[in-house]
Amino acid sequence: MQDKITKLFKAIADPTRRDIFHALIVASTALSISQISNHFEMSRQGVTKHIKILEDADLISINSIGRERYCNAKPKALETLSKWLKFYEQFWDSKLENLGTYLDNNSSS
Amino acid sequence: MKDVIKKEVLFNHSIEKVWEAITKADEISTWFIKADFKAEKGYEYVFTSEPNEKGCTTISGVVKKADPYVLIYTWIVADTKIETTVSWQLEPTGSGTKLVLAHSGISNYEGETAIAMFESFNGGWDNCINGLTNYLKEVINAG
Repeated sequence: MQDKITKLFKAIADPTRRDIFHALIVASTALSISQISNHFEMSRQGVTKHIKILEDADLISINSIGRERYCNAKPKALETLSKWLKFYEQFWDSKLENLGTYLDNNSSS
Repeated sequence: MKDVIKKEVLFNHSIEKVWEAITKADEISTWFIKADFKAEKGYEYVFTSEPNEKGCTTISGVVKKADPYVLIYTWIVADTKIETTVSWQLEPTGSGTKLVLAHSGISNYEGETAIAMFESFNGGWDNCINGLTNYLKEVINAG
């Protein structure tokens, strides 16, 4: 069984899926599979395959209305990753600055 | 998007000096975090932050590799059970030393666990780091 975050990385590793996800974020409204396939000039089957992986990673939700399926972006899944990166980017920048200062001070004394 | 944080820094100091700064407990305690640390494979180290009213946490882990000039240890914040990996690699350059630091491993965990970890950070760890940074600034200014 794959961990959620592993699925997340797999989902965003593919440039087409990133584009689909991005298009849904920009649209900030649900887009149907037909709309997505028109936009990307891709077959419905192709889009369906990609959105299934995005749905598995909890990056989008899919709702059926009548005979059409609509996709919504769920950017919350990316928060975990961006929070971790943001926190430790800052943490290590600050610590390595300390290390540099420490080394400089120690050599002059 | 990757799950690795990578930092490259150049120091105008010899590789031995930088190696000592990142492997000796008393030196780590000065510029980084109060440390019980030995650069020996298998050593279970503990980093302890200065206590404050927020209740600071510890970082612990196991040294995986400590051969000059590569240091690798696991990194577990308090009781989160989330094991990430920190590696330090040194290379001599013309006038000093290049440090490559890498911190990886968050992709091994489920979203909820990772989110819980950040909530604990917001509660305490963040404050400990700020406190320590300020402390070091004071020491440097005083000296």
